[in-house]
Amino acid sequence: MPANFWSRTLGLSWEFGTMRPRERDTLSVWQVVELARHPDRPYSLDYIKRMAPDFVELHGDRISHDDPALVAGLGTWHGRTTVFFGHQKGRTLAERVRRNWGMMHPEGYRKALRIARQAVKFGFPIVSLVDTPGAFPGAAAEERGIAAAIAGAIMEWFETPVPIVAAVIGEGGSGGALGMAVADRVLMLENSTYSVASPEAAASIVWRDNARKVEAADQLQLTSRDLLAMGVVEEVVPEPEGGAHVDYEGTAVALENALWRHLQPLLTMPVDELLQHRYERFRYIDSLIAAHPDFGPKVEPKV
Amino acid sequence: MSLPFRGRVREGVLLVSMVHVPVTGTKLPPIALSTNCPSCGVGLVPEELREQAYVCDCGHHFRMHGDAWIALLADEGSWRERWADVRPHDLLDWKVPKPYQQTIDQARQEGLNEAVRTGTATLAGRPVWLGVFDFRFVGGTLSIVAGERLARGFEQAAASHTPYVLVTASGGARMQEGVLALMQLAKVNAALGRLHAARVPYFSVLTDPTFGGVSASLALLGDVNLAEPGAAIGFTGARVIKQATYADLPPGFQSAEFQLECGQVDLVVPRVELRERLARLLDLYTG
Ligand SMILES: [Zn+2]
Repeated sequence: MPANFWSRTLGLSWEFGTMRPRERDTLSVWQVVELARHPDRPYSLDYIKRMAPDFVELHGDRISHDDPALVAGLGTWHGRTTVFFGHQKGRTLAERVRRNWGMMHPEGYRKALRIARQAVKFGFPIVSLVDTPGAFPGAAAEERGIAAAIAGAIMEWFETPVPIVAAVIGEGGSGGALGMAVADRVLMLENSTYSVASPEAAASIVWRDNARKVEAADQLQLTSRDLLAMGVVEEVVPEPEGGAHVDYEGTAVALENALWRHLQPLLTMPVDELLQHRYERFRYIDSLIAAHPDFGPKVEPKV
Repeated sequence: MSLPFRGRVREGVLLVSMVHVPVTGTKLPPIALSTNCPSCGVGLVPEELREQAYVCDCGHHFRMHGDAWIALLADEGSWRERWADVRPHDLLDWKVPKPYQQTIDQARQEGLNEAVRTGTATLAGRPVWLGVFDFRFVGGTLSIVAGERLARGFEQAAASHTPYVLVTASGGARMQEGVLALMQLAKVNAALGRLHAARVPYFSVLTDPTFGGVSASLALLGDVNLAEPGAAIGFTGARVIKQATYADLPPGFQSAEFQLECGQVDLVVPRVELRERLARLLDLYTG
């Protein structure tokens, strides 16, 4: 794997070598997509309640609604109050309907920013767990400004002067996921996916036929291995054999350890440096690709 | 064609400017048109339509593309394009329905240079940075090169305190560049945050159509969001919403006028008034 921007600039080591290759290499891309969407897969609250047993969920955007598709609140983690965000899909059919399968409305992003401003006020670090097919594709979301809500959130995360670590724990679907994944470090569980469009949406765009989702998934390069190779995530957290749903406890411990390992150095980083690094993380996130000679001159003379 | 320019008050004195702001900076280039207007059905005379900035007498605004927008907004001879030599290439080995590299090469042969072009110009004498989307290049989709040109432009506009004028027309992020195209939303918004932090005015002109990753990143974050009459603007396209929710969508759903009502845009401005309006806003925000 070629050295990427972050390994060069921050000296971060790539953790993929520690992954046991046996299962990963025998799974098809579509099997990974199915594991990421497995109905028994642990959801955000399963992790959050293990990480911070005293977790208190907070509700509402203070404008109009609460969005149950996003869980937000505070808990004690490694002896310090921490803000947790997480998409929550719902386990039973009734809960799935209530939580809208983890697809956020504009109020969800507004709730997240409200509580992020509290994190800044009180100096709490932020942990964000991402597990959504995407933002809700419905008329009500459009009417209440879903595009501007995501856009505003993406921009505001860059101006949030507390450490943020994020992990994709299931589906990282498009802009709806990115709106909760602008962080200093972004990790992925082994059998999670992160993509510009869902395989169904991509198939619908390419062939006008979302039944060709398997072919689309193969093309999209959406597995944790792909994203690590592209330099989009810092680490892939291995899952137990069979997938995360086989062993909640084991997966939670592995995820928690990885998140803590990445958060620790951020806690002592001066705020200016933290925000500059977050800026550069995304500003040059495509630097691996952009280093290609066809891409043109990289260094620009100052105006 | 020109419109009278308004006076303005500065330090208690009404300054009446006799300057007229022409509707276009330069004569617009010819564009491909259908034979009849899709709104009123009238037979179109291309040369006449070109003289009225590609707006039908009935008010229908025809889609314009990158070069036409530059001609409309930039004063004659003022356009200095930047980073035109930064080129896209296929990084995911994308094969369906046709190879991405072939798409890129074909667009290039047609004289198109990516979905976003950027540079400096003067607009009615006022220095600006311009960024224009071109829907002809893979649906105006946000790609690494498009994102790079936008981010560099925002950074330089912030450094030189030059107002930025953006014209959008896009289907969203470019699928053929995978998750790196999605990451452009964060990349351009990071740079846009710096522009805002530097207190440099940013005006976003939304044209037909503006969707997906572009409306969910830079398009709706203007100090002023202006939209063209009748332009379709939203996050998820109407076809996908109908498929996903079986909803009946009201007529005019996601039109510029609908978004004005929903509080997403400040102004719906006819194309012939756009330059005058931008000039006025530039004066107000830098006055
Ligand atoms: Zn007409």
